[in-house]
Amino acid sequence: MIRFILLRLLRWLPGVLLLLLIVYALMFYGGGDPIQIMFSREATDLFQPGNPRYEALKDKMGLNRPFLVQFGDYVWKAAQGDLGLSLADGRPVMESISAAFPITLSIALAATAIIALVGIPLGVIAALNQNHWPDNLILGGALFFWGIPTFVIAPLLMVLLCLQFPILPVPHGWTGVFTVNAIIPLTVAAIRPMAIVIRQARSAVLDVLSEDYIRTARAKGLPEWVTITKHALRPVLTPVVTQMGVVMTNLLAGSLLLEIVFGIPGIGRLIRDGILNNDYSLLLGCVLVVLTMVTLTNLLVDISYPLLDPRLKQAQRGDV
Amino acid sequence: MAPASTIKKLTDDGVTADEKAIGIWRDSFDRLLKNKMAVLSIAVVVILFFFAIFGPYLTPYDFLKQDLSIRGQPPSADHWLGTDNLGRDVLSRVIYGARTATLVSLLVVVLSSLIGVVVGSISGYFGGKVDFFLMWFTDLNMAFPNLVLGVVLAVSLRPPLSRWMEQMYLSTLNPVFRQSSLLDLALVIVVIVLVAWCPYARLLRSQVMAVRNYNYVLAARALGLPTFTIVTKYIIPNAIGPVIVQMSAGMGSAMLTESALSFLGIGIQPPIPSWGNMINEGLRQWTSAPHLLMAPALVLGLMTVAFSFLGDGLNDALNPRQWKG
Amino acid sequence: MGEILLDVKDLKTRFRSRGSLVHAVNGVSFHVNRGETLGVVGESGCGKSVTMLSLLRLLPPAAQVESGRALFEGQDLLKMNFGQIQKVRGGKIGLIFQDPMTSFNPVLTIGDQVGESLIYHRRASKEVALKRTVELLRLVGIPDPEQRIKDYPHQFSGGMRQRAMIAMALACEPGLIIADEPTTALDVTIQAQIVELVKDLRDRLGVAIIWITHDLSLVAGLADRIMVMYAGTIVEEATVEELFDDPRHPYTLGLLSALPAFQAEKNVRRLASIPGSPPIYANRPLLAHFSCAVLSPWNVASQNYPHYSRSPLEKMPAIARPVL
Repeated sequence: MIRFILLRLLRWLPGVLLLLLIVYALMFYGGGDPIQIMFSREATDLFQPGNPRYEALKDKMGLNRPFLVQFGDYVWKAAQGDLGLSLADGRPVMESISAAFPITLSIALAATAIIALVGIPLGVIAALNQNHWPDNLILGGALFFWGIPTFVIAPLLMVLLCLQFPILPVPHGWTGVFTVNAIIPLTVAAIRPMAIVIRQARSAVLDVLSEDYIRTARAKGLPEWVTITKHALRPVLTPVVTQMGVVMTNLLAGSLLLEIVFGIPGIGRLIRDGILNNDYSLLLGCVLVVLTMVTLTNLLVDISYPLLDPRLKQAQRGDV
Repeated sequence: MAPASTIKKLTDDGVTADEKAIGIWRDSFDRLLKNKMAVLSIAVVVILFFFAIFGPYLTPYDFLKQDLSIRGQPPSADHWLGTDNLGRDVLSRVIYGARTATLVSLLVVVLSSLIGVVVGSISGYFGGKVDFFLMWFTDLNMAFPNLVLGVVLAVSLRPPLSRWMEQMYLSTLNPVFRQSSLLDLALVIVVIVLVAWCPYARLLRSQVMAVRNYNYVLAARALGLPTFTIVTKYIIPNAIGPVIVQMSAGMGSAMLTESALSFLGIGIQPPIPSWGNMINEGLRQWTSAPHLLMAPALVLGLMTVAFSFLGDGLNDALNPRQWKG
Repeated sequence: MGEILLDVKDLKTRFRSRGSLVHAVNGVSFHVNRGETLGVVGESGCGKSVTMLSLLRLLPPAAQVESGRALFEGQDLLKMNFGQIQKVRGGKIGLIFQDPMTSFNPVLTIGDQVGESLIYHRRASKEVALKRTVELLRLVGIPDPEQRIKDYPHQFSGGMRQRAMIAMALACEPGLIIADEPTTALDVTIQAQIVELVKDLRDRLGVAIIWITHDLSLVAGLADRIMVMYAGTIVEEATVEELFDDPRHPYTLGLLSALPAFQAEKNVRRLASIPGSPPIYANRPLLAHFSCAVLSPWNVASQNYPHYSRSPLEKMPAIARPVL
């Protein structure tokens, strides 16, 4: 099992490093001079190229070293939990991130739970009523909500539920998952990805229902609910869990827009701050966090496969 | 019953190959027309294109004209969708936003499908290490959330792009290169293309893989036809259906990404209207003047929903589920 | 030979395909006696499987039984309500499918699936069902059944899976087993083993069997009677001896002439094949069948294709003989 996890990690690690390298290079060459950004608010030419203080600082920060050395240094320090200092306010990036990350994670987890508990049953119901009105209704609804961008539905819901029919308080900030404040943000977070999960669950159920072994189960004269729950739903889990993994990664990142609309101080807000202040080290830290979460989620999905499908148990023992 | 006609009837049921080829497209078209939501979506998209092309000549006001005496007015007979906080006509701005959205998404779809088709064909046709590397990269790109990647690209590509435009201006003295709206457009398109080509590549690769070992392709290879001919003549036509479906979905998501980037303030910059930056501006005063938020949000929602229904309708029409017997 | 167990009259099943109707089964009538083995022979797509699935109402959604009657132990299978047909499926009629690979649920253990029907038909507890499963697996010759019930289908070989499938069909001691090409997906040596196993079980348990196959030689040693199907109709029905000695329908002749052993007997050198492909069924419900004439086995080697022999064959009715 441990060997399996390590092998999977090995498969993902080069990719993560490559992506990080690309992002680092983009910021390194495209981002602009970090020192000028740091002191952009001070209208002096003390920190312009050529000035001895500028050069001294540049040397001190190690910005004169070759690109790859700097990158290696960044990765080495990041592995030890040091993401450098923010260019905007000089605080350690890690500090900001460790304050923001739990919020984003809790939104993502809560939304994932909602999606699984509501989306999968809806998909199954749609499949069992294929081409009848419940199916059309569910599919049409899913397609509709999939089409609406987060930053459209979020304000619309706010206008509707807080302004037109004031039944909910205006959500702002973050007070935890189980508060009234969280209702609108969590709904918004869940509703788009849920559409994909519904469609995926529906087509997975339809695929399984056309399998020979469902015919076998029916030929045995099992009650229909046994055929569905025992024979059809287990095999459906594999594709649906894969989809949930994708959903989870998108939630982690998709909170970007959500958090800005609702003023939630999570990773998305940090990214926005990074954009506004040209704070590349903060942006880079956020990207690294998102990358790590994507990798971990994919790893979790990979690990869950053998538990869901006994045919994959051999693969788990290591011969991938 | 003459023997020959009997044979013919049994083998291909009296339909020649040509008729069948036309029949497939006509069948698809008929199926599409039967889908009410798809037809409705086509209508919406046609209206969008109409306003994108002719909109600026139809608008009652100039989308940039400020009139501080009529700031933040609610919808009225003069200004159907009201005015914003600088006294600009919201309807005119929304209509101009259609032009921005359409221009960006059309170019993105064309460019990204071209890149995707080329990469996917290469990957699928050559296989081996080329395929492994290309698909590894595509998967990586797809696993990483699009919007975050887009943000990173938009933030870090803007300075070099503006430097380049400045240089172009200095060397050609063509004022086009001084237009910041052009810079925004180019940047947004490049960024979205860079994140949007992957699904096409995946799609084409799987199509190529499926077709590659068909006998008629093997025969073409045995005849010594050049690879390029084989790919363009035998493989790509097979993949057109799924690519069209993906293009329709891609239109919607390109529009969405453009708005999202503009919403975040790193795409199309004000005063040039994009639905995204209009929503951003509207959000600042959504309790006092909700129409500023609602107008662009509803239009953008309508468009992306239309593309999503259109893509779905096209999918049903072009790739019907195989009949199982 | 014994009383009639299953009596099918004028069964018609059609498929709906892109707006047109396909008549897959076109007025089929036959019967099976208690304890008797009936072989059903025909090429792919001739309606053999659809006929049997129609009886148990396991057709895909696109297919529909149009008319007919199927009396099983005096009750019409086609008129039963859902609960009644559920009791017949697995309880009174067992089914064995062609592909043992895809016919087992890959995520459930063999033990979970083989004795499952006992729980619902006999209200057996899980332990009883499992115990019976072990007995059944032993009966069909699976070694070490106590351990194997914990295995998943992919851990069984193809032949073993088919044995397990037979055990599954036998679980509730049904009076009739319908085997839909049970050996087609298997190696030739395994095929022979399965046929022997079924023969043995039939003799021991006295169960009636409908054995569907496209391999005439395979059922020759197994069946009491053989029914030849073509294009959704029964073209000939006879005991094995009659069929081999005196085939009445040209299609049967074609099938027979494709058997190497048969040709050796008649001194034909080249292996014969039946020219043409089965007709397209859409919108042509009746009697257009087999218009691409069958060649008699004695001139097949010398004639050029296409060749048409004898009288208007498509008008030739199914040839049934009185059952002896």
